[in-house]
Amino acid sequence: MLVGKKAPNFTAKAFHKGKITSITLEDLKGKWVVLCFYPGDFTFV
Amino acid sequence: MQKLNVEVLSVSVDSVFTHKIWNETELSKMVDGGIPYPMLSDQNGSIGSLYGVYNEESGVNIRGRFLIDADGIIQAAEILSPPVGRNPKELLRQIKAYQHHQKTGEVMPSGWEEGGKTLKPSTALAGNVWKEWQPK
Repeated sequence: MLVGKKAPNFTAKAFHKGKITSITLEDLKGKWVVLCFYPGDFTFV
Repeated sequence: MQKLNVEVLSVSVDSVFTHKIWNETELSKMVDGGIPYPMLSDQNGSIGSLYGVYNEESGVNIRGRFLIDADGIIQAAEILSPPVGRNPKELLRQIKAYQHHQKTGEVMPSGWEEGGKTLKPSTALAGNVWKEWQPK
């Protein structure tokens, strides 16, 4: 269970406002982050 | 979300190019201007595995949502199996509650909504919560 623990860091490619970028979680320190996983694009819910 | 100093990141095993096409062909018809937040690609499920939401059998990440505070600590999580979508109102309520707690040290009783009754933990309050707050 991860609640109460440090969020595992990662770096990933991302599509953001028309561009391909790279996001590293630790770079966002000082901001709150909502990390949302979902099964896949073009699904229904 | 920006007003609350919150960055949203979505993650799936799709490629960034699939994200682009999904945004262009469908999402931009549901959200004005398209998706405003970064859509991350987790093609081998490695990020999902770190957070315990990657399902190896189906090869996808299930619907996990993690609320991470400004110090990088996970304050809340919700994990749903695929058929049911999330409730953004509940997420917003949790963000406001945790931020209020970090600012004031106050705690939010069950069912708290913004502007609602909060409690200040103290020795005197132990056993006396009923005088301050009743469930509805």
